Amino acid sequence: MMPVTKEQVLEALKNVQDPDLHTDIVRLGFVQDVKICEGSVAFEIKLTTPACPVKEKMQKEAEVAVRALPGVENVTVKMTAEVKSNLSPSKEALKGVKNIIAIGSGKGGVGKSTVSANMACAFAMEGAKVGLLDADIYGPSIPIMMGKPGETTIREDLIQPKVAHGVKFMSMGFFAQGDQPLIWRGPMAHRALEQCLVDVQWGDLDYLFVDLPPGTGDVHLTLVQTVQLTGAVIVSTPQDVGLTISMKTLRMLQQTNVKMLGIIENMSYHKCQNCGSREEIFGHGGAKTASEKLEIPFLGEIPLDIAVRLQSDRGTPLVVSNPDSPSAKIYRDIARALAAQISIASYSAPKLEIVETS
Amino acid sequence: MIASVQPSGLKKIGTREFEIRWSDDHTSLYGFRYLRQNCQCALCVDEWSGQPVLVRESVSKDLEGLSVNLVGQYALQFGFSDGHSTGIYTFSHLRKVCPCDTCKGRAADPQDKKFLDKSDTRTRS
Repeated sequence: MMPVTKEQVLEALKNVQDPDLHTDIVRLGFVQDVKICEGSVAFEIKLTTPACPVKEKMQKEAEVAVRALPGVENVTVKMTAEVKSNLSPSKEALKGVKNIIAIGSGKGGVGKSTVSANMACAFAMEGAKVGLLDADIYGPSIPIMMGKPGETTIREDLIQPKVAHGVKFMSMGFFAQGDQPLIWRGPMAHRALEQCLVDVQWGDLDYLFVDLPPGTGDVHLTLVQTVQLTGAVIVSTPQDVGLTISMKTLRMLQQTNVKMLGIIENMSYHKCQNCGSREEIFGHGGAKTASEKLEIPFLGEIPLDIAVRLQSDRGTPLVVSNPDSPSAKIYRDIARALAAQISIASYSAPKLEIVETS
Repeated sequence: MIASVQPSGLKKIGTREFEIRWSDDHTSLYGFRYLRQNCQCALCVDEWSGQPVLVRESVSKDLEGLSVNLVGQYALQFGFSDGHSTGIYTFSHLRKVCPCDTCKGRAADPQDKKFLDKSDTRTRS
């Protein structure tokens, strides 16, 4: 019997689709390194994110498709990932950063930083290179949540980000220690954010999350003017007052052409530790309804869980300390949904460059 | 709101002209002098009243464009030979002031007319 050819394998794999990009995996260039030795076929599927929510499904489909070919006995599919970049190579210091994602809210106190810290850790757990920039000048809480307060060091004129739980992070809080406030007018906030982006040795990152202060202030404006964001995520509680104000931040980002990657509903409900009954303290489903109206992906709902708060205060985000707890699982599912949206955004975003001619 | 029409190509042609190709296949060609005259920054347009501060005719006819930078993903910043560079030109503003005959004729807002400069031939038909 004739051994199967590479062409036959690729033809068979054309039946496997990426459900997010709606294109087959061969045309997307995901299939690499096809090796055939008599009845054994091995190849690699290179995804656009290690946190791909349909990784297992795609692997299975590819395996089945190739195994169906006559003469094939063994199929080995290796799943790898290479995150696609969405940034123009304009800012030298950020040249190793492939995607910058802003996490914002309208109101304060909706759990933006908790969500950011858990998202960053969840992405890192999937094997991605992740950075987290705490740009909240009024309430920089990331150092506490990541368990590493204190000062940063400077090497070769560059600020060295701290590393915790596999995430590189930098905080505006490092500019003023302990209970010292940052009392800044616009220009200072602008300079500080610019410094956090450009003067930090971020190195190679697949994803850099920026935890924004609430609202639509100087920090937001500087961010959308300084870098090309892959997109933004809005965190909101389900209650009307929170949602209405979230819309302002959302509109501001849209006006500056920032792609909305999705809405996350935080403090969605509380499950009583004693009786297990579900209490919807801030109402429920408001963010989902809003996302449908605005045609923005809804990424998920996170319950009010005492474990989330406890672990944040202890400096080990829940996804790291109790990865198998119900709330951590919700966080990790949201991270995968977000990773898919980021891949779609980088895949479809036009890349603008200024050409000079004489 | 993400405007439906976005730039698909940006080209600086020497120091005199700048070209934008749009996603709807329209092409806009701007003189740098015209761009300078349409600057919306707080030094050129009063922030509160919206009244023009810059006297359009005062912009030198020899004005050149020295640099162009992207501002995030929604605007451009131009550096002009008179040292001015504080204007942020959003894509929607640039499209609105497209000086081509078709766009000029269609301009619904009479305010747009004030951006057309008598002495700048490129802005006139």
